[in-house]
Amino acid sequence: MTFCAFRLHLNLSTSGSLYFLIVVMVSVVWGFGEASVTSLAAVNCLNYFFVPPVLTWRVSDPQNWVALATFEITALTVSRLSTRVQSQARAEARQRREIEKLYELSRRILFLDRHRAIGPQVLVLIEQVFRTESAALFDAAEGRLDGVGSRAKDLEPLARAAYLRDSMLEGETAFTWANVLRVGLKPVGAIALRCPELGRLTLASIASLTAIALERARSFETESRAEAARETEQLRTAVLDSLAHAFKTPLTAIQTASSGLLEAGRLSGEDLEMAALIEQRAEHLDRLTTELLQMAKIDAAEVRLRRERIPVLTLIEEVVEGHREQLRGRSVTLPDTASRLEVWGDREILSTALEQFIDNAAKYSPPGSAISVSAEEKLGEIVIAVHNDGPPIETADRERVFERFYRAEESRHRAPGTGLGLSIAKKAAEAHGGRTWVVSDEIRGTTFFFALPRGISKEAS
Amino acid sequence: MQSRGKVLMVDDDISIRHALHHTLERIGFEVDDAATGEEALELVRETRYDVLLLDINMPGMGGIRACSEIRKSFPRLGILMLTVRDSEEDKVAALDAGADDYITKPFQIRELAARIRAAVRRSWVAPAEPNAVIGIGNIELDPARRLVRKAGDPVHLTPKEFDLLHCLMAHAGLPMMHARLLREVWGPEYGGELEYLRTFIRQLRKKIEENPSMPVYLLTDSHIGYRFREAKAEPVEENI
Repeated sequence: MTFCAFRLHLNLSTSGSLYFLIVVMVSVVWGFGEASVTSLAAVNCLNYFFVPPVLTWRVSDPQNWVALATFEITALTVSRLSTRVQSQARAEARQRREIEKLYELSRRILFLDRHRAIGPQVLVLIEQVFRTESAALFDAAEGRLDGVGSRAKDLEPLARAAYLRDSMLEGETAFTWANVLRVGLKPVGAIALRCPELGRLTLASIASLTAIALERARSFETESRAEAARETEQLRTAVLDSLAHAFKTPLTAIQTASSGLLEAGRLSGEDLEMAALIEQRAEHLDRLTTELLQMAKIDAAEVRLRRERIPVLTLIEEVVEGHREQLRGRSVTLPDTASRLEVWGDREILSTALEQFIDNAAKYSPPGSAISVSAEEKLGEIVIAVHNDGPPIETADRERVFERFYRAEESRHRAPGTGLGLSIAKKAAEAHGGRTWVVSDEIRGTTFFFALPRGISKEAS
Repeated sequence: MQSRGKVLMVDDDISIRHALHHTLERIGFEVDDAATGEEALELVRETRYDVLLLDINMPGMGGIRACSEIRKSFPRLGILMLTVRDSEEDKVAALDAGADDYITKPFQIRELAARIRAAVRRSWVAPAEPNAVIGIGNIELDPARRLVRKAGDPVHLTPKEFDLLHCLMAHAGLPMMHARLLREVWGPEYGGELEYLRTFIRQLRKKIEENPSMPVYLLTDSHIGYRFREAKAEPVEENI
């Protein structure tokens, strides 16, 4: 350019303008440093070739000194400004790109596969979207570390450290960062990335999105678990209902037919006995079915008890009254009517349990002997006790009477029963976080206990 | 044998219909049967029945809906619901739909016969004179003079106790739901005060029962309500 301008004998101001143009172009293309060097070279060229006396470094007219100085200052200022505008534009473009990427990440997080672990999926997404070299994720709730990329192993300690210190950390190697993941204020894990290009804000945003992805997966899981439990319970109830129907319908027909035969009074001798046998065994089968269904119901109810506040006295009164026929001719002592004890439980299940105790007391004690039912609060428990004067239960049998289908040797022949009753009571107590036991000896008779934790009743208020 | 009442039995299970049909006929009832609620709806329009035995769980419209449909047109027909599940929801739904009583399958034929008789009586007897004296067992209640006697001796009751006993004795033999008792005795704004009701029942039992923990008059229908013993609890055999 200098050569052309010199040959064309351009004057100082024209060639100055051309040099100026070059400096600005250099600053646009390469930046401020390069433009500064170019501007100094331009001043020297102008001085040597165009400022009289030409082809010397001298400047005869002081005004030309001013012109050269003005040129240099203007060139520097303009290139400075243009570089700044340039770099701002570049930063903005980068930010825009990062925001676009963050948006893409957030969009793709919505489509993660909920049935597989979320951590590795999020990391792969981050790698695909942000082109990270390596990344590691620490999920505190699950206690698991995941990594992708060649140097993920190096990042794992950094992620753990960020979680433990609850802050953003920079790694020892360049471009490595780790940030804690928070849901609300609570730290739930940490993510570590190695990526040369990402801004601090973007890193913070990636951490937030990851935290949200983990939390979202967790709440989906909780919800689907609750949903599954609900469905299981519904299914069980439906199965039990149809089983009840399937068993009880033919039993009703058998019992109606046999008791119809008996009531009609036209049978005698062996015919009468056989009809009575049919009725008796149908009743036994009915009782067995009822108890099996009750047992299954309590098993199902462990998923969810329908708890309410129940006055213990009312519970006892209703059960005793329900066994009016069976208890006819006996003296039955109930707790004082002033009793204000309450339990927080499933009424149907607790009634069933208490029924087993009353039924048991009536079966295994001499006809006409007294039965007493008491209730008291003792050491944080509500204890209901049913006492009878029946023969003592052998020590070895005291635990086993609560087992399903277990019946003590001598009682098998003495009393009708299914061997399910006491196990139902035990199961019912356990479903409420309580327990059952029996105390029995020759002198004091036999007492069955049913205890429920007192603490839970406070939940009712 | 003179008919003890005309019964329509509705159950989808043919073996139950068959067994019950014969048994009830032998006891002295006239019996028709139907397999569905829809069929029952048609039959009650053609024939005058005293009592309807209605299974809850049936295909089609089902027992509960059939009950409320029939109740709309026949306010005095005795309706007894049969249920397989011993669940209070079913019982409450049945009573809410207008049934007079319910019984759980499988049942003792005597118990069923007694319930049918109570329902037949309800359907035969003209609406009682509100001030007629009611006597059940050795308990006698005179609404006009607000007097109660037990084996001839006056029993002192508070006004609410009297109203409660009156309400139960007027519907003797039938279950009265907690909420209904509370509304009829205490007023329409009541309905959920179960403990309140239980306290009054305890007081009443102390006054009229020989052994309050083993009542023979004032009976509990677990989780549903109370019923006063039916007026004539004669054993089935005596009438065969």
